[in-house]
Amino acid sequence: MQHSHHSSGNMLTMGLLIIFLIFVLINSILPFNESSISSFQQLNTIFLSILIEAIPFVLIGVLISGFIQIFITEDHIRAWIPKNKAKAVFMSCVVGSLFPACECGIVPIVRRLISKGVPLYAGIGFLLTGPLINPIVILSTYMAFGNDFRMALMRMGIGFIAAFVIAFIIGILFNSNQLKHKEPSTLKKEESIFNRVKGMLHHSVDEFFDMSKYLIIGAFVASALQVYVSMQSFLLFEDNIFYTSFVMMGLAYFLSLCSEADAFIGASFRNLFPSTSILAFLVYGPMIDLKNTIMLLSVFKAKFVFILFILITSIVFIFVHLTTFI
Amino acid sequence: MTFNIQHFIKTIILGLFLWFFIDLHTSGDILKYVNPKYEYISKIAVGIFILLFVIQLFRILQPKQHTHHICSSTCNHDHGNGHFSLARLVSYGIITFPIITGFSFEPATLNASIAGNKGSFLPPVQQNNDESPDLFENANTLAEHENIDIYSEDYLPIENNNYMSNKEYEEKVKSFEASETIHMSEDMFGTYYGAINDNLSTYIGKTIKISGFVYKEEGFNANQFVVSRFMITHCLADASILGFLTEIDEAFELAEDTWIEIEGVLDVTNYGGVEIPVIKTTEWQVIDEPSEPYVYPVLTLTS
Repeated sequence: MQHSHHSSGNMLTMGLLIIFLIFVLINSILPFNESSISSFQQLNTIFLSILIEAIPFVLIGVLISGFIQIFITEDHIRAWIPKNKAKAVFMSCVVGSLFPACECGIVPIVRRLISKGVPLYAGIGFLLTGPLINPIVILSTYMAFGNDFRMALMRMGIGFIAAFVIAFIIGILFNSNQLKHKEPSTLKKEESIFNRVKGMLHHSVDEFFDMSKYLIIGAFVASALQVYVSMQSFLLFEDNIFYTSFVMMGLAYFLSLCSEADAFIGASFRNLFPSTSILAFLVYGPMIDLKNTIMLLSVFKAKFVFILFILITSIVFIFVHLTTFI
Repeated sequence: MTFNIQHFIKTIILGLFLWFFIDLHTSGDILKYVNPKYEYISKIAVGIFILLFVIQLFRILQPKQHTHHICSSTCNHDHGNGHFSLARLVSYGIITFPIITGFSFEPATLNASIAGNKGSFLPPVQQNNDESPDLFENANTLAEHENIDIYSEDYLPIENNNYMSNKEYEEKVKSFEASETIHMSEDMFGTYYGAINDNLSTYIGKTIKISGFVYKEEGFNANQFVVSRFMITHCLADASILGFLTEIDEAFELAEDTWIEIEGVLDVTNYGGVEIPVIKTTEWQVIDEPSEPYVYPVLTLTS
């Protein structure tokens, strides 16, 4: 819901989503018997649970985004980012790895960074490693897999390499920043610190309203899937490793779990699926999932999000399966 | 001064979010949605909401000509200065939606239908064998029960939160290993559960007391069901089901989601080529759903 000339594209996306939501709602409540109401309550509970967990991280994300908007200038960014593309991608992946973020909190931050002049490829490197590699995720992966560091290390290593390659390819494919909305804003240097902080918080509020609606839609769809779709319907050809990886990546995408918790869910499949497929689940989910795709669509051009989605899916798939040769 | 309707609506919505989060904490309902360790971060959220609410309050009445005082007009998100469009109305509607459902519906306890969607508790039985009367012969040997040993290592203390001191935890584990009667208390549920599944042979013949809800799966015998609890790691979306296969003659009378308390003897059975624990019930009774239906991984204080 930006300035009026942008809103038509958004309207379309939103319109489609709303139709979908209404469809789910009607489907779930219409027979109006006890079980349909009960399943709607289950859906609502999971939906709120995802939101209650994610909203604090989104709030922190929008505060950081507001801070970047007001206090970081294009000059800073130009000075910090290496000119060399590969170096810049590498640096962004390292910064992302050190930065504890979740996949929904990081979207507003990346949008702000890119509009401030961070090259798209560096922004994407940061977007991919931020939620995937950080101390909390590593610790929870380590714990989930029976205090074994192998899976945690594989997750970090493969994740880092895949993120680097994806961001680098993005750098080759795209020259512009791919944001839906053009030119970055400049700030007036003469503003007092009080006004700057006030401006930062105003940005945070507006960003919260911008982002949360996409989070809400994503969380709703993800919880509807949990309530109405049975996981077992996916388990058709369990013995084909490509198939199981594909299924696990699909699960990671549609469940839209927080990257700090997904290790436990991933671990619960380890007697069912080969560890390669579980690695695919663990690397893929934090990079892209349903709720964060919807958020990305609000920030970037749809075509770019689509290509990014294809790239992440294929690169993660290939790299994870290469590990079987190690 | 002009009255800005958009900022006014945003202020109200922020206020509602703030109220919703405070209400979650004061009513304790937050535990029905997320793991207790999220209480802190969501208290931080309350703080941020208060800050943003107050800031937003001052934007309702704006002096004229003071719209974008710090960022230029190219700044790319909604500062609420445009005209009121249908799109804005829809987006405010979406943002208020969770608050409305949050206030109007009580948090439901996850039930057996979710457990079924989460994947099989027991080893999967291939669909084309469904008609087959003998489940054990045709069962798929592919896997062990999905959730059985995820939390097994939780009985090594996890460095983190402070529900229990390390010492207290170790004492509980020790007395658990030594005692003849296993009481599956809420606080140690995951730990005991993991331990029993890891070293099943050690625990066979011991008496076990456990409460949970009835969960049934296709392929169970008429006298079988699972007495189960959901374990929450972060939020309900990652809930996984823990439970023991239980045998009671009257099992067919018990509807799914009935809460029961049982006492029985631990034994082992072969299900789909996998050895799993089974409780041979000696005593049981139907109970009310407990106020805290979920269990959580143990977090101990190490420092």
